[in-house]
Amino acid sequence: MKTIARCTLLLIGLFYTLTSLAQYDPDKVCRIENGELIFSLNLKWTEKEKKEVSKLFDLDSILMVEAYKGTPEIVSGGEIWKVKKMKTSLVELSKPIQSKPAQSKDGKILKNDDVYLVIDQWSNFTGKAKESSVVFGVNNFALSYVFTYRSDNAMFYLPAYKTANKVYIAGTFNGWSTTQTPMKAVKDGWMIDLDLKPGKYAYKFIIDGKWTTDPNNKLRERDGDGEYNSIVYCCNHRFELKGHKDASKVVVTGNFYAWNPRGIAMNKTADGWALPIYLRDGTYVYKFLVDNEWMHDSANKNTRKDADGYLNSFIEIGEPYLFKLKDFTTADKVVLTGSFNGWSQVELVMDKTEKGWQLPYVLAPGNYEYKFIVDGLWITDFENPFSVGSGNTKNSFIALKANHLFTLDKFPEAKHVIVTGSFNGWSTQGYRMTQQDGKWIFPLYLKPGKYTYKFIVDGTWILDPSNKLYEQNEYRTYNSVLWIDPF
Amino acid sequence: MLSDRIKYRLFFLALLSVATVFMASFSPSFTTVSYSKSVLTSVPNSIIFFQSNTYMPEFNLHADSVVIPLKRAGRLFLIEANVDNETGNLVFDTGANGLVLNSTYFRNHVKSGETTSSGITGSVGTVEQITISKIVIADLTYTKLRADVANLGHIENRRGVKILGLIGFSMLRNFEIVIDAKNSVLKLFRIDKTGKKLKSSLPEFNADHIQKIEGNTNILFLKGKISGKILNFCFDTGAETNAICSDCNRSIMNTLTITRRSGLSGAGKASSEVLFGRMNDFAIGNKQIPDMETIITNLDALSEAYGTHIDGMLGYSFLEQGIICINFTRKQFGIRFTKREEK
Repeated sequence: MKTIARCTLLLIGLFYTLTSLAQYDPDKVCRIENGELIFSLNLKWTEKEKKEVSKLFDLDSILMVEAYKGTPEIVSGGEIWKVKKMKTSLVELSKPIQSKPAQSKDGKILKNDDVYLVIDQWSNFTGKAKESSVVFGVNNFALSYVFTYRSDNAMFYLPAYKTANKVYIAGTFNGWSTTQTPMKAVKDGWMIDLDLKPGKYAYKFIIDGKWTTDPNNKLRERDGDGEYNSIVYCCNHRFELKGHKDASKVVVTGNFYAWNPRGIAMNKTADGWALPIYLRDGTYVYKFLVDNEWMHDSANKNTRKDADGYLNSFIEIGEPYLFKLKDFTTADKVVLTGSFNGWSQVELVMDKTEKGWQLPYVLAPGNYEYKFIVDGLWITDFENPFSVGSGNTKNSFIALKANHLFTLDKFPEAKHVIVTGSFNGWSTQGYRMTQQDGKWIFPLYLKPGKYTYKFIVDGTWILDPSNKLYEQNEYRTYNSVLWIDPF
Repeated sequence: MLSDRIKYRLFFLALLSVATVFMASFSPSFTTVSYSKSVLTSVPNSIIFFQSNTYMPEFNLHADSVVIPLKRAGRLFLIEANVDNETGNLVFDTGANGLVLNSTYFRNHVKSGETTSSGITGSVGTVEQITISKIVIADLTYTKLRADVANLGHIENRRGVKILGLIGFSMLRNFEIVIDAKNSVLKLFRIDKTGKKLKSSLPEFNADHIQKIEGNTNILFLKGKISGKILNFCFDTGAETNAICSDCNRSIMNTLTITRRSGLSGAGKASSEVLFGRMNDFAIGNKQIPDMETIITNLDALSEAYGTHIDGMLGYSFLEQGIICINFTRKQFGIRFTKREEK
């Protein structure tokens, strides 16, 4: 008898558990019936589940709360929603499916691109090739002679496909062009020399029309479409450690690798150990680990003590830019601060010289805003004609390794000329152009890709009169179009 | 609701000269074809191409076939091309009729005419036409062809690549067309009047399913089945997702899973409601294709634009299913499905 009672209790318990657990399946929330979009909402969902449903189906949280309350009709987002109470803790929220095709207010321009933008967002996919901001990288070729890199010249060799008619190389260095970079037929295969800056590049060969990864390159990355690209680094530094030939393992690690003690394995050479590496422009602190024993690079005179007083070697990659401030020789302290270091007010203390202050500082190519802090007082660089913003928000501006000069050869009498565009989010504070030899100019460093822009001449937006490329925008006016090539 | 670009698609619905229908069966075996220099002829073959009342592009190809690498920008397939000395990409978009060029680069070409366009909104406007002297795509050269001009800047801005235009089937009709999306390759084989490959030693495409191409338009319509009902789909390589009509019959709607929605309000949202989900019960021939991503939308305007009722569009997620072979002369569409383990 006891057993039966127990079983009954257990069954009741089980039944209770099953019914009280609201079955949560986001795939079953939404359906379409006779032109109505219907959402089945379960009152027993956890708060987390409710939030997820709200996010997946773009249901306003207030709308959800009202629906749970059982309010029969709710106006939300300009639409009328109907609520129907179902049995067992379910409510159904419905509205007619929006059936009109997308139209802008004037009914002329479709905004259908939005559809794909939304879907891109959902699938976490931007579609644009991402700019590689990798800090460091090391090659991994199966054969040492299939890739060499010396003084900005990269040689790719494909020792195969002798009978192919045409072989091209396509990669991030040529915008993945399938036609612009043919390889030369050489003995036993195909070869090409390319002028490449140090950096990380993805590439493939196109052999008689067919995309092929480099068979001798072990370094590959997913291309986002279920396939792979070969990856190569054009190296700009070589770590070297003389001696220690009897060591079984030598690795190098540093701030570029978050001081990971696994390090990056170095290769044995005739007189020690070496590792060609690509390092992004910047300053790096490093050490070697010889059979798990830490040591600094005794061949490198540049050392700094770490917080515990140990010596670390450091290297600077890239050319330093010399920030200079004339005069202020009576000041006690001048600090350089800018967008490059998060506007730190302490980090970059400048050195006093006879005529003022200076500080060499390595920066990657790019656009930067900066100021000097002279004994606590923020000032712009009055020797630099280029600035951004106005009044208190005015900052000095520098484009390191600028690759485009915006030029406006008209309006010499204008007071303010600004260039603004997709490169700065169409900021109307924008980049203030400077008059030089009767022309308005502004230099910028722009990554390869497409940019749209306009000039603002004393408040009036105009197209670049010297650029024949322009396209329509959402205001049914036009924007000038600029392409920066990868080369 | 689908895509801007559709707005600009032009529909010459009564254009085609009489096409003789030759039905030939596909025999098995299909191998990759590459041509060698030995088959090049010294005199290029100039063939008068697809004839319509206004549109007569000519092409030159020295070999019997050409392999064109496709580039991808997100879910778009791009063909690198040189159009009147401007180098860039053409979106391979079989939902577009003819050639549509981006006004950013071609607005200064001399206008050769105007034509009416109808788009997904059902609105009618005029589109400028220009004449292009030369287009080079891999080893294929077209001379003297007409193109419509439209603003395609939004595709560039979204995908970050230079888009010279859109290319649909009209320029490719005189080839047997093989689309291998998985390997990002488009292969074109020259065919004779009967639709047979010029180089007879080339094997025929081995298809798992063959469907007769109905009608004479440059837009390809395919019959697919959902919930036992036969539906009319537009085969659109430019559609970044499949689409299915939101007002289809209830038994069809019941087979869909709606996984996401984007409403109308709020910053950065679409200007219309977007419903996204999966087709669970789609079949073409006897082949069930489960789990294809799709948007769910009203396709009335698109039907109106294409001049025929459309229940859905087969785009990117369909192309991923296998290798597709299209022969307009034989009026045949064939597909060989990628086996699961190959994916």
